[in-house]
Order: sequence, then C-alpha cells, then structure tokens
Amino acid sequence: MPSLGLGRLLTRERVDPTARRPRGAGTSTFWIFSIGSATLLFMGWLLPWFVRPTSSGIGYSPMDVVSSAPTGIGTFLVYLLGIGMLVMVLSPFAELFYRARKRAVPERLDQVRVLIAVFGLVSTVVVFLLTRVIQEEQLFGPIDAFTITDSAVWLTMVGYILAATAYGLRGWVIRRPTTAFAALALPVGILLPLMFHQAPVFILWAAGSLGIYTLLALGLNVVVGFAGLLDLGYAAFFAIGAYTCGSLASPKHSIHLPLWVLIFLGAAVASMFGAVLGAPTLRLRGDYLAIVTLGFGEIIPDLATNNIGKLTGGPDGISSIDQPIVHLPFATINFGINKEWYYWSVLLVVIVVIVLLRNLEHSRVGRAWVALREDEVAAAATGINTTSTKLLAFAIGASVSGLAGAFYGSIVTIVSPDDFSFSVSVSILSIIVLGGIGNITGVIVGSFVLTFVIFWMLQYLNEWSATLGQTINVPSLGNIDYSQYTYMIYGVALILMMLLRPGGLIPSRARQIELTSGGEEESLAAVQGIA
Amino acid sequence: MSDESPAAADGMLVDQRGLTSRSHRGAASSPAVVATSTVLRQLYSLVQRYFPQILVAGIALSILFVYTTGGLTLMGEQIKNALVLGAIYALVAIGYTMVYGIIELINFAHGDVFALSSFYALIIATSFGGFVNSLATGSGIGLLVALVILFVTTMAAAGFTGMAIERVAYRRLRDAPRLAPLITAIGVSFLLEGFMLVKFGADNVPTKNDLWITGTALTLGKVSIAWTDLFVFATAVALMFTLGAFVRITTLGKAMRATAQDRNASLLCGINVNRTISATFFIGSALAAAGGIVYSLNYHSIQWSLGYRLGIIAFTAAVLGGIGNIVGAGIGGFVIGIIYVFGGQLAGGEWSDSLIFAILVIILTFRPTGLFGVDVTTRA
Repeated sequence: MPSLGLGRLLTRERVDPTARRPRGAGTSTFWIFSIGSATLLFMGWLLPWFVRPTSSGIGYSPMDVVSSAPTGIGTFLVYLLGIGMLVMVLSPFAELFYRARKRAVPERLDQVRVLIAVFGLVSTVVVFLLTRVIQEEQLFGPIDAFTITDSAVWLTMVGYILAATAYGLRGWVIRRPTTAFAALALPVGILLPLMFHQAPVFILWAAGSLGIYTLLALGLNVVVGFAGLLDLGYAAFFAIGAYTCGSLASPKHSIHLPLWVLIFLGAAVASMFGAVLGAPTLRLRGDYLAIVTLGFGEIIPDLATNNIGKLTGGPDGISSIDQPIVHLPFATINFGINKEWYYWSVLLVVIVVIVLLRNLEHSRVGRAWVALREDEVAAAATGINTTSTKLLAFAIGASVSGLAGAFYGSIVTIVSPDDFSFSVSVSILSIIVLGGIGNITGVIVGSFVLTFVIFWMLQYLNEWSATLGQTINVPSLGNIDYSQYTYMIYGVALILMMLLRPGGLIPSRARQIELTSGGEEESLAAVQGIA
Repeated sequence: MSDESPAAADGMLVDQRGLTSRSHRGAASSPAVVATSTVLRQLYSLVQRYFPQILVAGIALSILFVYTTGGLTLMGEQIKNALVLGAIYALVAIGYTMVYGIIELINFAHGDVFALSSFYALIIATSFGGFVNSLATGSGIGLLVALVILFVTTMAAAGFTGMAIERVAYRRLRDAPRLAPLITAIGVSFLLEGFMLVKFGADNVPTKNDLWITGTALTLGKVSIAWTDLFVFATAVALMFTLGAFVRITTLGKAMRATAQDRNASLLCGINVNRTISATFFIGSALAAAGGIVYSLNYHSIQWSLGYRLGIIAFTAAVLGGIGNIVGAGIGGFVIGIIYVFGGQLAGGEWSDSLIFAILVIILTFRPTGLFGVDVTTRA
C-alpha cells in the first residue's frame, strides 16, 4: 500500500523522461490526474452558473463574476484560479500533442501542474476561511459572495484533493479501480448537499431524478441485463409503487403510513404484479415478451387515468402525499423542508440495492440468469427451472421499481398517470443501453449522464440560451424550448449505442464477448433472441 | 427456422412455430397445488384451442348488446365507424406484418412513419401556395388529380423514409441478437416522435383538407355514410388487393416470399436480399402513408404522438391475424376496429385502448400465432 503520495507529488524525483512513470501505472495515471483535476476545476469554475439564490433574482454566471467590479482580493484569486484552470484543462491536450509526435512530455509541464495544484489548494482553503470569517465583506461586488465562493471553492478544493489522492494512490487505483472509485465517490456523494446552501433545485435533481432513475435503471438491469428479458413496460411497476405510496400516505384515503413501511410495501406490491404478469407470459420469445410488457405498461397508466375503483384520482392523480417528519432526541427533521434528507435516504437505498444486486449477480441465481440468457435450452438441460428463474428476475426488477416509485411519490408529493408513460420506460432503457447492459457500474454512469443531460442541462439550456441571445442580440435564441429535444436525445442515444457500441459506455465483460463473437452458429443466444 | 423448441410429450403448450415451450418442470409440492395447476393448465389449453370461437362469440355478443341498447341505427353507425377505423389499422398492420415476415423484426417505428406521413400529406397539400388544396376544392376532376398527386408523393416520401430507416438503423444489425434491432427500432420511433414534436409542435394540427371530400354518399336506413367513409374503406381494400396481387404475381413479390422463407437460400438463388428487404420497407411504409392520408382526410386533425398508440393497436391487429400473414393482417385490422369501437361502446370510450392492449397481451399469451397463424415456411 503506497503512502498518500502527496509528498511525492510535491517533490518529484528526477528520472529519465522517457521512463518516468512508475511500473504498472502506465499512461492512465496521467489521464486520471489530468482529466480528473481539469474537469473538477472546470466544474468549480462553472458552478456559480448552476447555483442560484432563492431570494435575490440575480442570475450568476462566471462572466458575471469576471465583469463585476473588482473590489477585493477575491476577484484577483478568481482570475488566478481561472488561469490555473485553463492550464489544467489544456495540459492534457498538450500531452496528447507530444504523444502524437512520439516525444517525451517535458518535465516542466508537470511542474507547472503541481504548482497550480498546490496554489489552488492553498488559495481555496484561504478563501474559504476568509469568507467564513468575514461574511459581511462583499468580495465579488454586488453579487451574493457567500454562494459563489462557497460552491466554487468547495468544489475546486474537492477536485484538487481528488486529483492529488488519485495521483498518489495510482497503483492501488489501477489494481482495484472499483474500490477506489467507491472510496472516493462515497464521501463526496454524502457531503454533496452540504456544499449547496441555497440550491434546493440541485438536491431535488440529485435525489429526485438521479437517485430515482439510478434505482430504476438498476432494477431494469436485472431484467434486461442479467436475465436477458426485454421489459418495455417497466414504468408500470414504478407507477404501482408510486400509487401505493400515494394511496397509503395522503389525505386521499385518510391513511398515513410512514415512508419506511411504504417503500417495502411498494416493492412488495410491484413484485406481486410482476409475478402475476410474468407467470403466463415469460415463456414467450424475447421480442414478443417485450410487446406484452409494453401492453402492460400502457394498461396500468390507463387504469390510473380512468380512476379504477375510485382509487387513483383519475387524470389529476393523487396529491399532497406525506413527507416524513422524523423526531430525533436532538432535532426534528422535516423531509419536506430539509430535502437533503431525501437525498441521503435515496443514496442509502441505492447503495444497499447496489450491494444486494452485486451479490445476487454472483450468486447461484445470477449464474442461472446468465445461463438462461446465453442458451435457454442448455440451461434447462442443466436443471435450471427456467420459468421460476425468469420469474424471479422479473419480480426482483419490479420490486426495485416499486421501491423507487414509493420514494418518488414522497419526494414529488404528487403522482399522476402522465408521469409513467412509455417515455419513462424508454428513458430507463436508454440509461442502461448507454451505460452498459448488464453492468452495474455502467448503469450508474449511464444514469448520471442521461439524467444530467435531460433533467439538468436541458432545463438550464433555456435560460442560458436566453441570456446568450440577449448578449449577442439574437433574441430568437430565448424562444427555443430545449426540453422538447428529450425524445430525440433518447432516440439518438439508443440508435447510436446499439449501432456503434452495443456494449454501452462501460460494457460488461461477458456481454462484450457475446456481442463480438457474432455469427449464427456461434451461440444459440442469437437464435433465442437475447440481446 | 432453427428456433423451434423440442416438442413436449403432451404437445399441450407447444404450437407449430415454437413460440412457447414447456414451462411446467417445477416439482409441485402439495396435492392442492397440483390440482390447481392442472385445472389452470386445462383452462389454458381450452382457451388456446377455442380462441377464435371465443373471440368471435365475444364480438357477436357485444354487437348484439349494442343492438339491444341502441337499436339498429346505433349498431349500423358503429359498424360503419369500425370498418373505417379498421381499414386504417389494416393499412398500418400490413407494414408490421411484412417487415416481421421478412426480417423478424417488430418495426417499432412503423406507427411513427404513419404519423409522419400524415404530416407529409399536410405539407404537400399546403405547399406551392396551397396549389393542391385549391385544386382539390375546385372541381371533381381537380379533386381526382389532387388525390393522385397527394397519394403518389406522400407514399413515395414515406416509402423512402422507411427505406432510409432500414438502411441506417436495421441493416447493420440484421445478424445481431434479436433484441438489438428492436432497441434501435424504439430509438428510431423516439427520434421520429421527437422530430415531429419539435417541427410541428405539441398541439393537434388541423389538416386543412376537410373541404376535399364532403357530403353523404348514401343512407342505409337511418345510417348515413359519408363519402369520406366510403373513400377510406375503398382505398384500403383496393390497396390491399393490389398488394396481394403484387406479392403473388411479380418477380419482386416472389423474391420477397423467398427471402421471408430463407434468406440465405434466396441469396444462393441470386436474389438481391438487401434490395428485396428495402422494397419491403418501401411498400410497408407507403401503405402506412396511405393510412396516414386517409386518416387525415377522415379525422381532419393529426398530432405528433398519433403514431405511438395507433402503431401498437395496428401491431395488435397484425398479431391477431397471425404475424407474417398479409391477408391475416388485413382481416385483423378490421377485427380490431370492430373490437375497438364496440368495446368502447360497451365499456366507455376511455377503455378502448386498454381493451386493445389487454387483447394484445391475451393473444400473445394464449395464441401467439394469431387467428390465421400459418407455418413459418408459407409466410409471405
């Protein structure tokens, strides 16, 4: 186990430039260091753009910070950090240039980067402390200094620390990338909401969209990725979970069960529906099963719209769903106000689900799923009960979806049939196709990418483009509604991924072998209709 | 076909196309469970065997019910509606069934090609300063010329769209696992829907051709049949017969049937398989375009998401008629039209869609071969 490596980072031993990376590390450490620090710096720089105060209506952007009257040392620091950021962002390209020329990367580039890293680290800590000590002083002119420095400084700092640690622990990172990723991502993930004092929008995105969609994608991954059954009506189970939560924790039926009961109840009800749907239909071939689930996925929101049994509230759905209030000895946590608790709850559930699914994947059942996916006849011949194994995958997938649905209902406090249309099923499918079918890490990455683009970027693109349109005098830019491109993004993601990289961004190893082996006689899986 | 599962000893759950396989291999523990599962299995095989009879009986009963509640006028009115709707479903269903017959792909984007072609028709009718539109509303001959222009251009445009979709999204995945092209098909469907949403907006779009064909053609009892109704029905039937003759008589039709039977063998016989599949997509999409035109002529209002649900319903029709069977798809379209209208009359119009989706699930569960499911080797 190497030491933290910060010392080595500061005092680099001088060796032959052609062989200056440690053994086994290769190029990737440099990429980790460069890209990691650069992107995080970039994020820190861009962050004021995302963070908006709830009270004052001023819109922030990095340009606002730069163009505001330079009144203090803070602005100067921001300029310096910006230049540093630029160097960090450009340095990988410089490196690329040298590599393309088959020349050794000059030592000086590395020294500059180390210097910038140290400077950024120190200065961010200083600025952070300064803003904490003298909050009254407006470092950035008329703009709310607190928010900007807080978020930017926090994130830049985290970026530096991450990059430095990754660089120091490069050997370990390369040997055990998953553990390293978890060890780095977990603290950041837990601390994330604390960095945003005035950004409930962010929390809602992180908990509501990212967390819920990650859960859904993990669940669908069991059905599609592990067992190889395409489920196009996955949103139906989501709807069942959400309506379970809505019915049992709202004034609608005057029942108020706590969320902790409801998430299990939602999971149980959804998995029951999954079993009921799956039992007669799972013997169908792949594409037929997909269509049956599609039909099911259309029927469930229709039932809700038509207010079956006066249970679902028709097209308006169920509103004012309870948000939990937890009384602790030292404090009272109202989830409706302190929304970061939703984030933490969802994060906890996601982690638990990931651990459970990982274990399941490598268990006897998981191996049975793989066997079934590869060749159903051979699997049956080895004594696997194909029906109950498929049914189990279906039920487990449905239960994760129901759990996510219960959380969703509680977070958004209103469920209506429109939230569970076919496009939801397709968005979840896009996530796992994008990330990598059958690979848990890939699915998580996929949900990050897609929910960021769809639920975060597209929302803000409207405002950004309006601001840009005003700046460059093209007011028509403000009239474009970018959120209507959602469908096209899903479509393009599905087509391009299947055509160009069918394994996804991070393909699962087994799946990669299957997909590249090809040929009709190669595997019966092709004939049996398993993607 | 190589995917026929080995026939089970009792042959109960196995149909000729191997869509189902034996599933009951789990050891049942208690006698009660055994008894229940036996009863369920007998019920299952009963429903499976008498599926057409049950379906026909259900339809007849619902028509009878409408007759007893609403009298002859309502029944006649609804039969007319059902046949008009069924004609459109049939036109779309044929595209599904042809594509499935030839490359075993559920062309998910087909419904959206239908919707897109209704927008094509709108564009063509209103372009050149509304030339076609003014032609159509001017005189009888003018209407005929306008219709010919509209049908030919729209069907050609939709056909080329279908060919382009096949070329870009499906051809490379022809030998990939079966679900891969299905996923790209969903992607194409979303791409088309998104395109229509961005281009034509989220609201209903009036098709501006409600003055083209007007008036009542004839009155049977108290049921008045408009010229548009007649036009939709006649167009659909004529196109279907033309297609049937085309597939049976022409060389290209023969090539299509051969490719559907065995792609590799047809390749050995010197058939240009790629061109044949492209032609299949062209014809299927052109028929969907015809459906789109008659839809817009009859209902006067189109929407970007029109193709999604209509596509599923038409797919249900294709499955009901036995997927891969062109005649079956035509008949299935009309049957689904009748079920849609009369089921909606019985249960309330808001349940029509759910009813069709339930029938889709039931057909695929009990009788995946559909009503006229034939052996794979004889599919066209």
